[in-house]
Formats: sequence, structure tokens, C-alpha cells
Amino acid sequence: MATGVLKNVEIKGIACAVPDHIVKNEEYCDVFGAENVQKFINMTGIKTRHVALDEQCASDLCFVAAKRLMEKLNWEPSSIDALILITQTPDYAVPATACVLQHRLGLSEDCIAFDVNLGCSAYVYGVWLAASTISTQNLSRVLLLSGDTSNFGINPKDSATAMLFGDGGTATAFERSEGKEIKYFLKTKGSGYKCIMVPAGHARNRSKVGVEAADCELAMNGSDVFSFTITDVPKSIKTFMSQYNINNNDIDMYVFHQANKFIIKHLAKKLAIPAEKLPISIDRYGNTSGESIPLTLVDALGGEKSNETVRLLLCGFGVGLSWGGIYLDIDKSVCLPMIYTNDYFKED
Amino acid sequence: MTINEKLDLLEEVLDIKQGTLSEDIELDTLGEWDSMAAISIIAMFDEKYGQTLTTKDVKSFRTVKDITDLME
Repeated sequence: MATGVLKNVEIKGIACAVPDHIVKNEEYCDVFGAENVQKFINMTGIKTRHVALDEQCASDLCFVAAKRLMEKLNWEPSSIDALILITQTPDYAVPATACVLQHRLGLSEDCIAFDVNLGCSAYVYGVWLAASTISTQNLSRVLLLSGDTSNFGINPKDSATAMLFGDGGTATAFERSEGKEIKYFLKTKGSGYKCIMVPAGHARNRSKVGVEAADCELAMNGSDVFSFTITDVPKSIKTFMSQYNINNNDIDMYVFHQANKFIIKHLAKKLAIPAEKLPISIDRYGNTSGESIPLTLVDALGGEKSNETVRLLLCGFGVGLSWGGIYLDIDKSVCLPMIYTNDYFKED
Repeated sequence: MTINEKLDLLEEVLDIKQGTLSEDIELDTLGEWDSMAAISIIAMFDEKYGQTLTTKDVKSFRTVKDITDLME
């Protein structure tokens, strides 16, 4: 298992922007039938979701979050050394959306900017990557943006996905800080790459005969993802905690990818996590893909004034299959209040 | 576990009215037998029996007995 400790780096701020527009899952009774909708709500816990306007991209939500965070921290655009965007819904096939955001945010030409394609595990990989660039590459300030508009490319008649996803964009500010550290583990099981997949629309299967429009929509094998999550994920968390001698008393909050309520509760039971240490956002925001961890943090702590330290175990798992965990502490006050927005970028 | 205890547990997991399941029932005839039921069954085997089932395993079940036979 890839694990390690990244030294002299900490999180200075976290912001999250979601679309203004709220969709209630009970509105789907006409499509799937009232009984099926209720069953879905009971299992996933999802009652409402914030869904992006047609014009609103993940980058727009990340932009709003980043802008607000830079203002709050008084970070001059020229002081940011790197911008990392993790998304599975970029603006374009080419170029990388991080380049567009470097321009829109007014960052320096000396700023490193690139995209990473990961979903449910995006944030834990992102924390590792952003913290690594400071810990090992001598950068001082890094912005990690994680966002998705997962409702793009969903078949509205597929009951497994039509009521599942919420959209959002987040920004997390990392800065060099002597004595602070972040512990991590990261894993991959590519044999399960078909479990959550959009089979066509990119280079493979692009123009083959027999490719249907449906192949460009997200297909998910929920039960295989579930099997993976309840076996591999708790095993890795236990190994990680034991390796670094972390026990349940050393953790104030377990912030898990908000896949669905049933999975989260099952994981919590297996890891003996009390409900008060397990914040949930999925009921009001849906499965918000890679940004679900920072979104849940902002939902739980956003606007807190206290500088009290909170020790976090973050865990993301899913599409890839890919998963990982992070152990770190943050000040409660680093999370900005949730931002609601209809803003989007209008090209020249 | 007696067969009745197994059926009670299955009814609870699948949210089916108590006393309606029997071993000879074909799963495809149950309205409750869907993708969410598959997840509930996987969770039950993990929690109660420490067994990890895959989608393939669940799809291979034809009758209630195929499930109760594994509940050991």
C-alpha cells in the first residue's frame, strides 16, 4: 500500500460552491413510480440535490469557490505556485481546463496548472498531490480545485443514476507550514474499471460501428461497487491506522465520500464509528463525486469562528476503481460558508 | 439458524411482509428483487456471515433456497 507522511504543509482554507438550482427526488415519481422513488430515497438517503444550469460547468463552480477563498485568505494571484484541477467533467476535451482557470483567476504565467481525471477518490489524491508539491518540490502556495457536474451525461431514464448526483465545485488552499504534516494512503484496482464507466465518446470506441448514444452515458454496476467498498476500503483504513498507530480516539471526524447513505452507514458499522463523528451531506446535496469530501466539511464546519483544531480521517473510494485516505488536522475556521451560485463563464 | 429464522431475516433485509417467503419461490417473481435488493443481500452476507458476494454471485441465485443454502 502506498503510504507516507508529507511534512511542512497545511490546509489554510476550503470553499465550496454549489448551483442555486435544487431538484427534489420526489419530483421523479412520474418517471419511476412513487414506490421506487421512495425505495431509492430510503437506500441512498438523497432527498434533494443541487443541479447545475446547462451553461454551468464544474470549472465555473470551482472558479467561484477559488475566487472567494483567495479573497478570504488575502492571497495575491501572483503568489500561487500551482493550480491542480481534478474533474471528470472538464470544459473541453482539449485543452486542460486548469489552463483556462489559470487565466480566469488571473494567476501568474509562472503558475503550474494541470488537470487530473479522477472521481470519487479525487480529493484524497488531490490532497496528496497538492501537499507533495509543497513538501517535496519547494512550492509555497497551491490551489487544489475539485469539482464535477456529474448530471451532465446522465440518462434521465436510468433510475440508478438519474436521482443520484449533485453538482459542485471546491477550492482548497495549501501553504508551507513548518511542523505540520499530512499522512496518506492511496490504492488502485483497475480490474474494476468497468464498474463505473462512460464507455464511448473519447478515443476508444469513438467511431466504431455499433456505438450507441447510450454508450456516451454513465453506466454503473452498483452492487459490484458496493462489494468493493465494504471489503477493500475498511481493510485499507484499518491497515493505515495500524501502521501509523492512529486509533478511533485520535479522530474527531471521519469524512467519507458521500456515495450513498447505505454504504456510508455500513462502513461506519464495520469501523465502529459513532454517528456524531460521521458528517453526512448526501441527503441535501446528493452524491457529489470527487468534491463530496470538501463539500461535507464545508457543510459541517463552514463559517465556524473557532480556531479549535479538528483531527480528520478523509476517505474517498469508487470509480477507477480507486481509493485512498488522508489523516490530517485543520482549524475549524478554515471552512468558508457554503456558496450558492448561478454564475458561469461566457466565452468571447 | 433454522430455515424459518433465515426466511425471517431475508424478509427483513428485502423489506418483504413477514411470513410470505418460502424456499421454493423464484426470485424473478418477487417485485422486491431488484438492484437495490442485490446490495442489501451483499450487505447482509458481509455483516452476518463475513462473506463477500459479487454481482455475479447474486445473479446466479434462482430461488430463495439458493440464498438460504449459503446462509451458514
